[in-house]
Amino acid sequence: MSNSMDDVAKYAQAFFIIGSNTTEQHPVFGTMLRRAVRFRGAKLVVADPRKIDITEFATLHLRQKPGTDIALLNGLMYIILEKGWEDKTFIEERTENFDEFKATVMQYPPEKVAEITRVPVEQLYEAAEILASSKPTAVLWAMGITQHIVGVRNVMDLANFQMLLGNMGKPGGGVNPLRGQNNVQGACDMGGLPNVYPAYQPVTSNEVIEKFGKAWGTYERGKKKEESDSFIFHLSSKVGLTVTEMIPGIPEGKIKSLYILGEDPVMSDPDTNHIRHCLESVDFLVLQEIFPSETSAYADVLLPGVSFAEKTGTFTNTERRVQMVRRAVEPPGDAKPDWWITSEIAKRVLFHLSSFDEGKGERRRIDLEAPWAKWDYKDTSAIMDEINALAPSYGGITHARLEAEERLQWPCLTVDHPGTPILHTKQFTRGKGKFMPIDHVPPAERPDDDYPMVMSTGRVLYHWHGGTMTRRSQGIMQVYNEALVEVNPDDALKLGLNGRDRVRITSRRGSIEAKAWVTERVPPGMVYANFHFPEASANELTHASLDPVAKIPEYKITAVKVELA
Amino acid sequence: MINIKINGQPIQAEPGKTILQVAKEHDVHIPSLCYHKDLNPTGNCRMCVVDVKGGRTLQAACVTPVWEGMEIETNTEKVMQDRKLTLELMLANHPQDCLTCDVAGDCELQDLAYEYKAEVPAWGAKGTRYAVDSDPNPFIRVDMNKCILCRRCESACAEIQVRDVWGVSSRGFDSVMVAGAGVPMLEARCESCGQCVAYCPTGALSNKMNYGVARAHQVRKVTTTCSYCGVGCQFDLQVKDNKVIGVHSNPNAPVNGMALCVKGRYGYDYIHHPDRLVKPKVRRYLLEGKQKSDIRETIFDTRKSNIELSNVGSPWAWVETEWDKALDIVAKKVAETRAKFGADSMGFLTSAKCLNEENYLMNKLARQVIGTNNIDHCARL
Amino acid sequence: MTNKHIVHKPIPPEIQECADKHGGSRETALEVLKEIQTLHSALTADSVTDAARALKLPPHHLYGMATFYSMLSFEERKKVLRVCDGPVCWLKRASGQSSVTSDQLVSEWQNKIGNDFSVERTSCLGLCDRAPAVLVDDEQAGPVDVRDAKKVCEGWRGVPTDYSKPRKGEARVMMSLAGKIDPDSIEDALANGVYEGLKNAIRKTPDEVISEVEVSGLQGRGGAGFPVGRKWRFVASEKRTPRYIICNADESEPLIFKDRVLMDTNPHQLIEGITIAGYACGASEAWIYIRGEYEYQARRLENATEQAKSKNLLGENVLGSGFSFNIHVHRGAGAYICGEETALIESLEGKRGEPRLRPPYPPQFGFRGQPTAVNNVETFCAVPHILKNGAEWWKSLSNYTTPGTKMYMVLGHVKKPGLFEAPFGLTLRQVIEEFGGGMVKGSKFKFALCGGAAGTISGKSILDVPIDYSSAQKGVSLGAGAFLICDQSVSAVAMLRELLHFFAAESCGKCTPCRVGTWRALEILDRMTAGKGQKGDVDELKTLADLMQVSSFCGLGQSVAIPMKSALALFGEEFEQK
Repeated sequence: MSNSMDDVAKYAQAFFIIGSNTTEQHPVFGTMLRRAVRFRGAKLVVADPRKIDITEFATLHLRQKPGTDIALLNGLMYIILEKGWEDKTFIEERTENFDEFKATVMQYPPEKVAEITRVPVEQLYEAAEILASSKPTAVLWAMGITQHIVGVRNVMDLANFQMLLGNMGKPGGGVNPLRGQNNVQGACDMGGLPNVYPAYQPVTSNEVIEKFGKAWGTYERGKKKEESDSFIFHLSSKVGLTVTEMIPGIPEGKIKSLYILGEDPVMSDPDTNHIRHCLESVDFLVLQEIFPSETSAYADVLLPGVSFAEKTGTFTNTERRVQMVRRAVEPPGDAKPDWWITSEIAKRVLFHLSSFDEGKGERRRIDLEAPWAKWDYKDTSAIMDEINALAPSYGGITHARLEAEERLQWPCLTVDHPGTPILHTKQFTRGKGKFMPIDHVPPAERPDDDYPMVMSTGRVLYHWHGGTMTRRSQGIMQVYNEALVEVNPDDALKLGLNGRDRVRITSRRGSIEAKAWVTERVPPGMVYANFHFPEASANELTHASLDPVAKIPEYKITAVKVELA
Repeated sequence: MINIKINGQPIQAEPGKTILQVAKEHDVHIPSLCYHKDLNPTGNCRMCVVDVKGGRTLQAACVTPVWEGMEIETNTEKVMQDRKLTLELMLANHPQDCLTCDVAGDCELQDLAYEYKAEVPAWGAKGTRYAVDSDPNPFIRVDMNKCILCRRCESACAEIQVRDVWGVSSRGFDSVMVAGAGVPMLEARCESCGQCVAYCPTGALSNKMNYGVARAHQVRKVTTTCSYCGVGCQFDLQVKDNKVIGVHSNPNAPVNGMALCVKGRYGYDYIHHPDRLVKPKVRRYLLEGKQKSDIRETIFDTRKSNIELSNVGSPWAWVETEWDKALDIVAKKVAETRAKFGADSMGFLTSAKCLNEENYLMNKLARQVIGTNNIDHCARL
Repeated sequence: MTNKHIVHKPIPPEIQECADKHGGSRETALEVLKEIQTLHSALTADSVTDAARALKLPPHHLYGMATFYSMLSFEERKKVLRVCDGPVCWLKRASGQSSVTSDQLVSEWQNKIGNDFSVERTSCLGLCDRAPAVLVDDEQAGPVDVRDAKKVCEGWRGVPTDYSKPRKGEARVMMSLAGKIDPDSIEDALANGVYEGLKNAIRKTPDEVISEVEVSGLQGRGGAGFPVGRKWRFVASEKRTPRYIICNADESEPLIFKDRVLMDTNPHQLIEGITIAGYACGASEAWIYIRGEYEYQARRLENATEQAKSKNLLGENVLGSGFSFNIHVHRGAGAYICGEETALIESLEGKRGEPRLRPPYPPQFGFRGQPTAVNNVETFCAVPHILKNGAEWWKSLSNYTTPGTKMYMVLGHVKKPGLFEAPFGLTLRQVIEEFGGGMVKGSKFKFALCGGAAGTISGKSILDVPIDYSSAQKGVSLGAGAFLICDQSVSAVAMLRELLHFFAAESCGKCTPCRVGTWRALEILDRMTAGKGQKGDVDELKTLADLMQVSSFCGLGQSVAIPMKSALALFGEEFEQK
């Protein structure tokens, strides 16, 4: 998020929620938005094919056809430009490439947009007026925007939208993706991505390689004495594979072994059948988990990690706020904190690598004299010291400060830096904000005669992702104990559901049987399924068409057929 | 600033503030029950009455704004006696079961009864008016006998959660809090966030999952960050005997204050679920020095049932080992793979559920130790 | 929200229709509930939930209302017969055997006609001049005794009181046309000078109208006696618009029925008074909040407003003055507390009738949060005469310090119970002897309940105290102007029991002292009435009265103490003996 949840909830005059089921997926933030609407009179425009809970509070609900977000946004921006509602000063002073962008947007007159999106022209005008006249407006989104083959383009178009209205860098404005997992922000910040080191330092940059090479001791010094100051770094400068490439890369022979920390790709990755097939062919799979999962059936080694209640360290939330996690209880049995396990593996691998003889394989030389080369951390605070040294935006975020109840959001460069609740107040990371011309692209898989309906996937309030944790919570299972597939009453009638409640949903890749929940939450022609329950997981049906840049699968649109079960 | 007097002490107060707020700022104690700083004051319970000079009646401090020249007495004999009597009116119909009550020690009514040396009247219903544990909600235990009709649950549901489940029904002595049209909470669209429980000053609404497990003074509180979504709520884990037995709101939580959702507040019992992995496990074939390629056909033959696969004798059966053994197997395998197929033949999936520090180490492991950028996590999923 | 306990089903069409018909706003909630009750012959949790969905309100909100107002019910009912158990009807029925409680009388009706009617007790019906009274569905009946039950089934409704002849000594202003005109004919009203006050008013500026009312010294007739002109000036000086006028016709305090008589005898006088207030305050709309038991009068007022509109005395551009004004009639559904002005506003907004926090007061923050003047029927009825004849004339009506005339009700053991209009400053002796025709034969004055149910219980010693808004300090309250005269046969304990029975039934339940205090006091008095008093009872009653008086949330809770304390002071021995 460019802004903080608190300032968005407090100062936004309008919210534009597109592709976020906020009250179910970020429930507490959802209540902050409800409060803003009810008690502060903030306006709320929701663009979502589904009548999600927060639409009860909406000033206006646009039910665009799935996969038409760009057309919708361009249509709104067309109206804004047509009416002269854009923030001319902001565009002039803080952005570039406006004209090219404008030329594209002008290809999206409301009538055409209404045809593509099925949102009536009047609603487009109403939405544009609400969003343009409320200053500032905060844009909020989540996976509904990103899990498309045009995920990145969707996001760029939202950035266009906010620059056009001059809503960047202000309390109550900004572009605000709501991060799903508790520490997905942190995992990204810490270099858990194939293209960047911690704090988004690109793997392709020589400077970055030198910086980490020197810190981690991954270099060889020149052999001759006069060359002793010259280094040959052997950190890879090649962008790595994403999860959606790694697993399918197994049968292709690209990937031989996997080390998975606390994930369950069988449940959470698209096209389960294919994932299973891939995992069957991997040479070696290490899984570090707290529970046996669907994925553990394919693991060669299962290492017992610990839950958040059994270790100390930090999480970073969606607004870049770093907060302490504290050990409350002892781990069960022999389970060990994940950081300890990873360190042990690293130490042992290093030992093996350095003991290989020349010729048997590439030797890995680490200069253990380098400042951060070693793996002998006594606790996570010591790891954080290393992060402070190497990840500039985390430079000043120490356990000591957090324990002293300081409230820190990165960038926080030094120990006396107060943190940064709002990004881009003066300028964008790259200087001027660049408008990107974005065109509508239809989704990868469209309904046809064989698979006439669209399925979208996501989570529900009561469960978490693959359900590993929440399916083991007694109370939660009393409230929500099996997968419910949302079916529109019209479709239920056509299907002849007629009080029976089980349906079979089939895509080109698989088939599931689940209980139908007949509800107007979904429009006719659409069903919505979740992936919390292995016996009826939506990912049996989804497909692995990826956004070309972000490599994110198009979970939100799968062509399916629905029958009585 | 305006000038007022509290118990004869001249005080400078901010206009618009209530007597209760000003008194609190100046360390003058006025008891309250229906008042909570997060919620709109209602003035229902009348515990905070004070004597304002010139007033015909006593004034509820929680809702009466200060004015220039106001003279307030917070503890005259009349005021103290009326508070005590009001308490006794509540206690007359309240169950006399503090001995066994789950919230004893964490109950505002109990504290006030103690402070005012209230005597429980001989008359009154004493908690026989309503069914105990009357709602099937799996998280929230409802005992309306203990309700003093402060209506904080209604305010919390309306003002914090903005869900409007709780309300008051009937009138006069028959008044009672209800969910929706007098239906079970879940049918009244309750999201089971437990905000009503967090704000209830008595045991009328309490947590069902740890009912009878421990009282306030028997638990250790550990402030931590929630492990579900990206909002980053903080709360206090309630720990007893090395077990997390509950989650309580921590009013100082930076993002969420007292608010939590159903998963955060009640989805904690997985921590001690018997399925937890407690020992490293390796497949038998690894101990027997076999290659996976030799057994792959048999193990992934879809016709074989899982039961057969987990047979002790099966090469694919799990064998529990000591850490040393398991770690060595892993390290050796990893080193071999790297040696044989190169660094980029290995993939690392780090976890959005794990700590920053752990994610950093995964990144370091992939890049420093192995030398590959094949690292990712489920951000895309 | 996905949770398996929520069954999703469409809103039944008749409920959706009903909500739509009323405009679907929260303010119509009470109407919608009443209509659904009629439609389904009872409310259910389901129908209340569906109505809430149709109105886009939380279900608890409608359920809270449905269980708050006594005329709404979850029990399937036949024709409903509501037996008044107010103190006047009780006194009439009990006639000399005051240990009989009002509840017992209700069961007698039940035994008689329980097969054809759903018999319910109800707090005072406001038909004290027709005691003993009952309400047959919407129809007011009285005097009818349980002996008349069969006749009542057949349609007998008793005999209405004739108010055409003034009593000796009466000074009729508001009552001047009572019985002399057809109340349902605006022509008749116009021919007799009604609306002359309005015509005079719109020739003045609003400010001048307020000044005229200020000079007249008119005080609110609800009981507190707040200067009317000052209240209007507060409203007029608020910058925010729209501003509203509310007429409190929710006359629900036992002993009081004068507003009903005023509405019955000359509804146009009330419409005129409200319209003048609207003009003076710069208001655009008014609501007459009339108690649900006065359905007959509500229809009469609706008819009157329609007639006034047709004569351009209401509506757009009243009489060419540029002033536009509308009056709506809103029916309550059985709740004494709604006589409290902020509770009334809450109720009008479609909520439970619970009093609001004050400040802010209605002139700043009233109906819909806007500046609002709330006055009582009698107050509005006095206004046209002041504008018609001038403030000086109004002051000249009496020599007493409080100017103008007042409606009085004298009830109980006097020869000629009923209603009359007279100046302020009467003594109780005058009320009994001059207007009430003296005590009935064989009766000796023992005490009077003065003002209304929440008034003083006063004995002989105050018989000669002039009564006005400040005489309560001397032991006799004016309140709304009612006096229930009791002779030696009436037990003070039983009378107080009846009053607490009323207060306990009508406490809204918001604050602890009133909610539990009234209930506990009734419990003690029930026992005492049955002759089972215990040591400490009298002290406890005193303590409870003290608590309620100073710690209750609203004026109604506070005033419960008035009859309690005065009765205990006056008849302490009687209480000790029980």
